[in-house]
Amino acid sequence: MIEEQRVIDFHGHTGRLDRYNGVDDPALILHAMDRVGIDISCLFNIFHPDGTTGNDITARFVAEHPDRFVGFAYVSPMMAEGMVAELTRAIDGLGLVAIKLYPPYTQWDLNEPIWHPIYEFANDRGLAIIFHTGTDPHSDPGLLADCAAQFPNANFVAGHAGNVDEPRAAAIKAAQDHPNVYLETCSTFRTPGVIEQLVNEAGADRILFGSDIALMDSRPQLGKIITADISDEAKRLVCGGNAARLLGI
Amino acid sequence: MSIQFTFRPRVPVFDANVRVGDLHYQPSPCRNRDQLLAEMGRHGVERALVYHAQTEEVSPIDGNGFLEEWLEDRRLFPQWSIMPTPDSMAQVEALHEQGRVRSVRLHNMGYVGLPFRPWAFAPMLSWLSENRIPLWIPLPDADADELAMTLSAFPELVTVLVGAHYSHALWVRPLMTTLPNTYLELSRIEPLGEVEALCSEYGAERFVYGSWYDRLAMGSMLFYLHHSDISESDLELICAGNLLRILQGEGRHD
Repeated sequence: MIEEQRVIDFHGHTGRLDRYNGVDDPALILHAMDRVGIDISCLFNIFHPDGTTGNDITARFVAEHPDRFVGFAYVSPMMAEGMVAELTRAIDGLGLVAIKLYPPYTQWDLNEPIWHPIYEFANDRGLAIIFHTGTDPHSDPGLLADCAAQFPNANFVAGHAGNVDEPRAAAIKAAQDHPNVYLETCSTFRTPGVIEQLVNEAGADRILFGSDIALMDSRPQLGKIITADISDEAKRLVCGGNAARLLGI
Repeated sequence: MSIQFTFRPRVPVFDANVRVGDLHYQPSPCRNRDQLLAEMGRHGVERALVYHAQTEEVSPIDGNGFLEEWLEDRRLFPQWSIMPTPDSMAQVEALHEQGRVRSVRLHNMGYVGLPFRPWAFAPMLSWLSENRIPLWIPLPDADADELAMTLSAFPELVTVLVGAHYSHALWVRPLMTTLPNTYLELSRIEPLGEVEALCSEYGAERFVYGSWYDRLAMGSMLFYLHHSDISESDLELICAGNLLRILQGEGRHD
């Protein structure tokens, strides 16, 4: 909690990435969260194309600290025939509350029809979907505009907000054009002025704090919001107000 | 500890890694010295060690010249860039004779296939070592094996490894262990809990705070350090004390 504002980290991972010293140790994650007032971290596992394996890992992880972690479901069109069934199991059975997608692991642009069953599922239930977005052509955040227009009851979140200049501009344009597009902030680039640009051009009510924990520590990623040249009211929305609204928590 | 939406550092801050001026492909958000000082003031940063962007990929010699207009006696201190060529060495040696060299920064030559090996760098590294001039080495341009092998041949030389990213996570500990007179600059140390872990393993005396502004936003790592489980005295060392000691030629640990 920061100044009575609940803080929600919208972007986190379960699973180890040992080559990067990315260790999903709950004690380390909670320590980092506690040091800077992060109340809830949203977590997902993107390392298993069946969805099931990773979603089970995430659900077990969340179950250890249900007051601090929220789980998102992951599926992949590499195993398209099982996507909707797995989403149903993960959301209804495991209690996961939103969806994570990772187009760079696939051969399809994020607006291609093979993804549409996922979007229909989210649209029917009013769920949020967070995507990895960036320079990879499958992950072009500009493509979210197509999806947002076709599935207006789902909310589409550009993870990393495009990460670098050109895709970031496309992400902002998608958010400007569609009320169900949001931009999430985590990025190892931490380019000066990006938080200010996102807030000023897309609106503070459309920006979500994320950290990429446990690949990265959540503290410097929160630090770039806290030290940005934006109003305290904007910081409240970015740090948790928008995420609480989007997730209904 | 109560967290606020505004942040100011609790300890004096001397930023060990600030870039000024335009890259050839990217203008700087700070157009002049006053704007840089204002940005530092906004984040509570008192002093900074600055190098010029033109030294990164164009010319250490011209870039060092462009650096002059950014310097300020009390707050902005020069870090001259260097490469092992006669012209570059002569420029830095002349600055040294004027008493103006407290540190230097290695220009990336791996780009053109010159490895960081003693056969190419020994005269320059020997001169730096003899004159107790510390060398900053950007890790994004470096090769781990070359660093370990070459710097081991110059054990008295103090070095600061700059910009270790999570993609360098497996380099950091072997290099810190192999090279006792090496420091790690913290601008991109983001693996979970890594600042606390490294300080516990090696001691806060081995680390310096740098923002790597304007490549990175200035305040976020400073916020992180102030919300880490390290003592106030260690925080003071990391944020300014260690850098002051290094710049005074007193950086050796062995």
